[in-house]
Amino acid sequence: MDKETIKRNAEFLQEILPGMKIPGKVKFHCKYKHMVEFAKCFDLTDPKYIGSDGDKIIACPAFANAFSAKLYVNMATIQFEQNGKIRGFLLDFKKLLHAANEYDWEDCVKIRAGDKLTMEGEIGDIWVNEKMRLFGEIFQRVKNQNGELVCKVKTIATIAPGGY
Amino acid sequence: MVKVSELKKGQTIKGEFNNITRDLIKRYSKLGGFAKLASNPIHDDDKTAKEAGHKGVIAHGLFSFGFITKLLDDFIEREKYGKIIKVGVEMRYPVRCGDKLITEAIINKIEEKRVFFDIKQKTITKIRIEREGKIIKRFEADMRNYISKKDYENGHIKTKDTEKGILYYRERVNSPGYAVIELFG
Repeated sequence: MDKETIKRNAEFLQEILPGMKIPGKVKFHCKYKHMVEFAKCFDLTDPKYIGSDGDKIIACPAFANAFSAKLYVNMATIQFEQNGKIRGFLLDFKKLLHAANEYDWEDCVKIRAGDKLTMEGEIGDIWVNEKMRLFGEIFQRVKNQNGELVCKVKTIATIAPGGY
Repeated sequence: MVKVSELKKGQTIKGEFNNITRDLIKRYSKLGGFAKLASNPIHDDDKTAKEAGHKGVIAHGLFSFGFITKLLDDFIEREKYGKIIKVGVEMRYPVRCGDKLITEAIINKIEEKRVFFDIKQKTITKIRIEREGKIIKRFEADMRNYISKKDYENGHIKTKDTEKGILYYRERVNSPGYAVIELFG
């Protein structure tokens, strides 16, 4: 992709994306096996995270990575019109990287095996750096099946030139 | 037992993990939320990662985050003495196979029962071992050119005497961040 197109695309996305709600709600089923395998990646051994009683385990804090990334990927499927043509937000998945993440568990309840989470998100600021790498903020509120908040997430994703 | 009255500014807690393998990076990538769509191949295929400009597979950006929450969770003994309120981290450089991950949380402020930390997560990447001016062992970072000119310019390249010879390695902060915990007592 030539420099001029990259610049044009960056300007277009900076105009159209801020404040945009990520369409639809993303659902995430917290399965016992997934939670246990996830905790094991970090050598966690506490039975509260990896115990054999599926009804009693809770998700380790890092499990927030598992569900927050789902909306992040979903966002990449957004399509819109640019100069009369339909285009995807993300043109090359391989050029997408995480730049920063913040998880806030203030006033949140624990995630238990079997919980069904719903995520809603909104796009915040969009900017580019001197190398024309695009950055974007994504804010998520994650609730369980009872409508209780389980996590607030702020992600900054970045896409290399040619990927947007 | 962790009590707020026994903590002070500047105090550091530290954790290390020295088993980052291709298999673990791949396993995490499939568990980390992408599984249903397709795991990003830059986490499990060197060729694709190279095409994307990474020189070799890299861990998912949030993989190393798990070791920050583990460190804090171990500190409060899995919520026996407190709870994690907030963790934020910036992913500055990728984490790769063979990297040793060192996570430090340094207390920068204490307000009532809340303890605020600066997080510093470093990677140690082995490059090569030299003896009497000759290279006797090369590690993946050297063979795949993970080390850049900037690493030298920024003073990230260090040496250490070992039994086999002089080890050249890179040490850099890959993920700075912050965290807040609240203690019960």
